[in-house]
Parts: sequence; C-alpha cells; structure tokens
Amino acid sequence: MKVKYKIILSVIFSFLAIMAGVGLGSIKVPPSHIINIIANKIFSLPLHPDLQSSTALAIIWKLRLPRTLLAFLVGGAVAVSGSVMQSVLKNPLASSYTLGVSSGASLGAALVIVTGFNIPFLGVFTLPVTGLVFGMATVFSAVKFAAMMDKSLETNTIILVGMVFSLFVNAILTLVTAMARDHLAQLTFWQMGSFSLKDWSNVIILFPIVLIGVILIQSFSKEMDIMTFGEDQAFTMGVDVHKVKWSLLSLSAGLTGSAISFVGVIGFIDLIAPHVVRKIFGSSHKIVIPMSMFFGGSFMVICDLIARTIVSPSELPVGAITALIGAPFFAYVYFSRRRWL
Amino acid sequence: MLSLQNVNAGYKGIDVIYNISFSLKEGENLCILGPNGCGKTTLIRAISGLIPHEGSIKIDGIDINKMKRADVAAKIAVLSQISTIYFSYSIYETVLLGRYLHMKGRTFKEPSSKDKEYTDKCLKAVGLYSIRNKQINELSGGQLQRVYLARTLAQEPDIILLDEPTNHLDLKHQAELIDFLRDWSKYEGHSVIGVMHDLNLAIKLSDKVLVLDKGRMAAYGKATDVFSSNLLNQVYDMNITEYMVDSLRIWENFDHHLKMGKLRKVN
Repeated sequence: MKVKYKIILSVIFSFLAIMAGVGLGSIKVPPSHIINIIANKIFSLPLHPDLQSSTALAIIWKLRLPRTLLAFLVGGAVAVSGSVMQSVLKNPLASSYTLGVSSGASLGAALVIVTGFNIPFLGVFTLPVTGLVFGMATVFSAVKFAAMMDKSLETNTIILVGMVFSLFVNAILTLVTAMARDHLAQLTFWQMGSFSLKDWSNVIILFPIVLIGVILIQSFSKEMDIMTFGEDQAFTMGVDVHKVKWSLLSLSAGLTGSAISFVGVIGFIDLIAPHVVRKIFGSSHKIVIPMSMFFGGSFMVICDLIARTIVSPSELPVGAITALIGAPFFAYVYFSRRRWL
Repeated sequence: MLSLQNVNAGYKGIDVIYNISFSLKEGENLCILGPNGCGKTTLIRAISGLIPHEGSIKIDGIDINKMKRADVAAKIAVLSQISTIYFSYSIYETVLLGRYLHMKGRTFKEPSSKDKEYTDKCLKAVGLYSIRNKQINELSGGQLQRVYLARTLAQEPDIILLDEPTNHLDLKHQAELIDFLRDWSKYEGHSVIGVMHDLNLAIKLSDKVLVLDKGRMAAYGKATDVFSSNLLNQVYDMNITEYMVDSLRIWENFDHHLKMGKLRKVN
C-alpha cells in the first residue's frame, strides 16, 4: 500500500480513537453530536435539539473532550520522544521510561510532596516542574553513564543501566516514603499517572509545548536517519553529531518531562508506538515522527478509555493499563530483536 | 590534494601513531599496511577527523582543524565496514542519505531533482538500481557493502577512506570492489586511501603503499619499490615471501592438474 494511503488511514484511526474516547462511557454520545458540540462551542453553530439542556453537553465539553485531547497530546509527546531516543541511541528498546524517567520524576515529586517545599515564583507548578527536572536528570545521567561504560551503547547496556538507575532511585524513594506514609496516595498518582479531573487549561498549556517540540524534532529528521547507522558514520557524513545528539536528547526528555509533569508517569507508550509505526511505515523519520504522534496519541486515548470504563464507575490508573500491555510487549521486542539485525 | 606532516594521534592522550608524513595527488591511491595493532585504523580515524591529532593534515592546502565539519565531509568520505542494522531503510533511502550535505537548507522539503538523479547514478554505478526499493536488512553482506559504497559516492567526495573494506566479502566481491574503486579514482581524478590486510588487493588498488610498524612509518612509496623480503618479514614477524611463494606453487600445481584434466574445472 502506498505511504499516502497508510497516512490517511492512520489519521482516520486517530479520529475514531478520539471519538471513542469522547463518546464512550457512562453516557454514550455519537460522533455526530460530539462534532456538533465542538462546532457550537468554537464557531457558535446551533446545537442539535437533543443536546440542548442535556448533561451530555457538559460531560463532553467540560470533562471528556479536554481529558481525551490531553491523553492524545501526552501519548503523542511520549511516543515522539521515544522514537527520538531510539534513533539517537540506535536502540529499539531505548525510551525515557526504560531509562528511568519514571523513578526520577517520582522521586522529585515525592520530595516536594513530603517536604511541602514550594518554589515561590512557580507556586502550584513546583510539583510538576520538580518532577520534570528530576526525570530529565535521571535520563541524562543514565545516558552519560551508559556511554561511559560502553561507547557503542549496546542494547543490553542501555537496559541494564536503566534498570540500575531505576532501582537506585526507587530505593531512595522508598526511604522517603517510609518516613512519610501519609502522602502515599498522592505518590501513587505520580507513579501510575491519570487523566481524571483534567480540564482545558492543561490542554491549552501542553498543546503549544508539544507542537513546538515536535516541529523542532522533525527538523532533525535527516540527522536522525543518519545517526541510526552510528555516530561515527554520521560524523563522517557531515552531521554535527555532538550538537544534534544533545539537542535531540534534550528535546526528547523535555517533551516526556512536560507531558508527565501534567499527568504523572505513564510508561511503555513511548516504546510501543514508535515500534508499531516503524513496522508499518519503515524507518524514515520524516514519517516516523508525525506518525508516532498520531499512534502514541491514539494508543493513550484507548488506554485511558479502558482505564475509566473497564471497572466503571471506579477508575484504574492509566499507567497500570499501559504497563499491563507494555511489559509483555517489551519482552517480545527484546527477545525477537534479532529479526531486526 | 591531501598532505600529512608529522602527524601523531591516539586515544586518551596516548599516541598510537607517530610522525606520519605523506602526500597524495589527485587520482592517486594509497594503501596502509601493517600487522594488527600497528595504528592503521588510528591513522584513518585521524584523517577523517574522528579523533584529534597533532601535526598537520591538509586538504588542498587547508588544515582540517581550521575547516568546518561539513567542509571536511564534503571532501573526505568514509566507506564504513558492515555493521549491525538496527533500523531498516530501503536501499534508495540509504543512498539518498549520502546527499545529506547537498540537501542542507531543505529541512522540510523533498530532495531536489539533482539529488535524486545523483542518487540514481550512484545506484546504477554499483549495480543496485533495479532493487533500489528493497530493505537493507534483507541484503547479503556483499550487497550491503555496495549500498554503503553508493552512499559514500553520493557524498561526492574527493577522497574516500576505507577501513578494511573487504571484511565480510567473498573473493569475487573483494575483487569487484577494488576494481570499482581503482576505476573511480582514475577516471574521476579522485583518491582512495585504504587500510588493507590482503597484500595482493593492496597492490591492485594502490599507487603507493604506506607500511606501518608499531605506529611508525616503516616504508612509503610504490609497492614495487617498497616491498622487500626484509621489510615484510620484519614488519609482520613471519616469512611473508616464503608464504606467498608457497601459495603460488600450490596454485601452479592446481593449474597443472587442471590442464591434465585430473580435476574437474569448477565454474
């Protein structure tokens, strides 16, 4: 099938995922009504008589639409970030999550929650910003450490270093939580992630961050293609490897960090989405990056839909759903990776 | 075109090669020879800029330390050894990546028709045009080496550096690669600098040879002038000439049997 048709089908898939995310739940709303509500709110078009003075209107516009769009943005951001990590470290199993962003961010968040520490000019953003900084610091330390141990950054080195860093940071986290058990519930939110009670303000802040991040990353697509062949080859082909590598790692960690600072840590989408995209579209980053956005976003919306409907009316943390699907997938990619060689 | 003057280079502050000096004219090929660990790869890496060096390495009279990375890459390309492929691309996509420097400033645009035409030309030159849409992880070692060769040519360099390019290649593909590179340098007026283990292939490709022994130049010049029993035996620490002559005798014997019809000729 031609790439053009695959892209069109992927966009339709994303649209359907969003419609399902918005329309399904305790109250079911058909796509035509959802579009009608959006058109009414944005372009002031008249509402369908069935929707006037209905609770569906409030549920869709105030709860489900911002929640679903936020899930789409977060999923897309972490998936794009994952595909960047994989190409820069030329490793199909590398991602912020496998490199310990989760443990780092959780530790940062735990320190803020437990100590009640507040950075004056950041106010309520102290928690997400600290989570972001600690998460990014863990990823950078892990990459630096892995590069020091093994210059070629073999798959096993990356996985092991990620594991060692996660275990170490988790140990500190356990120490912190052991001393402050009252805050366990809040910490669990961070470690498992959730989209509940998210409103438009989150979407409005995250949208430009993700848009700019993805466009900047997309501008490095040729460099990423070349770097999958190794840094030495990229260097001799004229790529400014050092600059490109650290720009991309920063952009990628920044995207993941921003995303998880809103909703907590949600793993494995950054591993699964780029993998699926490469299977369908090949490895060219010109297509892999935007399609990772669409697939990562759609997967996250579907996982969130499962999280909030499977044991309705109560809700599961979405990170638990992604981990339930993601961990076996991780094992599958790891053990079948020889097919990639 | 390329000149080295008293070049020292190494790793982590410890020099591996010392006082290397030579110069190459357009269309001249050089083979770097010597036993394992004598510094051949280090010399190639220093010329390509992958590791820092002392002394001067000049291209067309300009020191590479004073040139931008992109300007060096526009002059010198490196034909890589075959290595693990983590993410697969089509042959065409891989060769087109060689046009990277020529496509700068076209970040969000399609490759220009000139880039596409040049990529096609390189694919035809290495005989892969008809299978250009195949994925590179489906190729044999010989085919993959040709893909990398086409990508190197697509860079339009003046000098190609090779580090043991015939690794993983069977005899036929080794000979084909060497013939191709010799023709490329002669007809296009470019140069090839290659690290080689096979003395026969080195003689075929090179106009000059540089023999390294423990990081120092043991000899430099035309192979016919430089190769002597004493030099080779000393550098490789074995009786190379006796080994070569023995091999020839064996082949002579085969030939005798072939002529007498005692062995079936294998096509």
